[in-house]
Amino acid sequence: MSLLPRKARSRVAPYLLALPAALLACVFVFGVANGVAQGFGIMPFLDMHTPTLEYYEQVFAREDLLSSLLYSLYLALVSSLIALVGGVALSYMLVKAKAGRVARLAALQIPIMTMHALVAMAVMFAFSGSGLAARLLHLVGLVATPSDFPSATGATSGWGIILVYIWKEIPYLAFCTVSLMGHISDSLGEAARTCGANARQTFLQVTLPLCAGAILRAFLVVFVFALGSYEVPFLLGPTAPKTLPVLAFIEFQDPDIVNRCYSMALNGTTTLLCSLAAIVYFASIALRDRRQAGGAHV
Amino acid sequence: MCSKKRQGQACGKGTFWARIYLVVHLVLVLIPIAIVATWSVSAAWPWPSLVPASLTTRGFETVLADSSTGLGSLWLSIGIAIACAAFTTCVATLGARAICLHTWRGRRIFEFATMLPFLIPGTVFAMGVQVAFIRLGLARSVGGVILAHSIVALPYAMSIMCDVTRAAGRRMEETSLTCGAGRLSTLVHATLPGLAPGIASSLLMCYILSFSQYFLTLLIGGGTVRTFALVLFPYLGGGDRTIAGAYGIVFIAVTLTVFLVFELLIHKLRAVEEIAYYES
Repeated sequence: MSLLPRKARSRVAPYLLALPAALLACVFVFGVANGVAQGFGIMPFLDMHTPTLEYYEQVFAREDLLSSLLYSLYLALVSSLIALVGGVALSYMLVKAKAGRVARLAALQIPIMTMHALVAMAVMFAFSGSGLAARLLHLVGLVATPSDFPSATGATSGWGIILVYIWKEIPYLAFCTVSLMGHISDSLGEAARTCGANARQTFLQVTLPLCAGAILRAFLVVFVFALGSYEVPFLLGPTAPKTLPVLAFIEFQDPDIVNRCYSMALNGTTTLLCSLAAIVYFASIALRDRRQAGGAHV
Repeated sequence: MCSKKRQGQACGKGTFWARIYLVVHLVLVLIPIAIVATWSVSAAWPWPSLVPASLTTRGFETVLADSSTGLGSLWLSIGIAIACAAFTTCVATLGARAICLHTWRGRRIFEFATMLPFLIPGTVFAMGVQVAFIRLGLARSVGGVILAHSIVALPYAMSIMCDVTRAAGRRMEETSLTCGAGRLSTLVHATLPGLAPGIASSLLMCYILSFSQYFLTLLIGGGTVRTFALVLFPYLGGGDRTIAGAYGIVFIAVTLTVFLVFELLIHKLRAVEEIAYYES
């Protein structure tokens, strides 16, 4: 580097700094693109080169596709909406309670560092037919045998799955917003209260709008994760409908390698849903920025 | 109960209720862990009893046995997670500097590209890239698994490092250079201390992500790279609850230990930094 003149060096610097991360991102894009291509029947290692819509057509003709798609969307949407509300509330309470370092760490970090599948196991231990909840209800005489209890494992309503997600993601959402919220509450919140705004007005009109970017972003991350994760619905989900990733992995594991095209077509559908979510996110960010810019003029 | 700084002000009613809320939250966080812990030591826990009928150490003996499905997999997982955390954090520290401190053509695209693993699920990536990893000879190898983990950890590390890089800015570095410090000493005494909290939390986040990765490890490792998460997963679906519980508790204990070591380290680092600051 020192061989280059100073000006050229500073021009090259950002590209060199960005290079390793860019390479990792390229591998990611390559992986996803490879999958999408296989969904269109392009598998060079099998000498399949002509793109076709055949696999998408067949996948969309499946009887279970629509129910799978809606089920995946339902689980992701419900769990991430609950996580959104719960996460904002938790973050607000942490700031309001002036929680110390230890309380913050315990409330947020323990759920973040626990693997999803382990939480699924805990839900199984607590809410399966012979789980602890059923035993407690048996004690008060509401449940006679394990089969009387509405088990969380294999329930079509997916309440066990949702429980796992919100146990993990409420703290994650709070983790993403709490330091920003604390900062705002100390500075601008204080100012708003001095100007006579009550706690509710301060929260709704000052703190929340300023945190909206961070909140929305965390919501998107959580939504995409819930939509595309395999472990939790695999462990706790019903036999039918299955979520899209579970369905895709079944096809992926099929001894007949051509079935991978179906698997990738299913993955392509998941990717499409995620892209739609991302578009909504970016559009709402752009809208907010424009509105804020407009507000500044007034 | 009020924190010391604010002792002068009255602890409002709101603060009180917020504390109650947090206590309830903490209880809800700890209940599942307590249930798993109880199962991990129970030999028999028949319906409808609320406490185990008899206790055993069988679960922990299995998990902590000196075998490839016991301690072997645990060490492997810790090694992979440390490598992934160190690698991803280095990459993200550099990348964040490119985004936050330089203006250049392609910056926006680069920023968007590094955030892509947030927008597209890891399962889609894993199934798509598997064939490519096999052909490149990266599949079924520890290196390949570390690389794959790093890719999904990248956006987390990038967003943490971008926040801290933006906050630290260039002021300290410029001051240091103006005062005649060399490049290396500027890096050690001005740049890195400013980024230290971010680096620590990025390391921790990547460690956790790698340590708890199942699906990606299964596909890229092909079952040959048997990490702790991979070994414990089959137990979760049913079968032996004692062993499953023991795996769960060891998992949580190890992550918690790593976490506490990190917290202590950050605390120490800050203290050292402050002493150095006041002594000079």
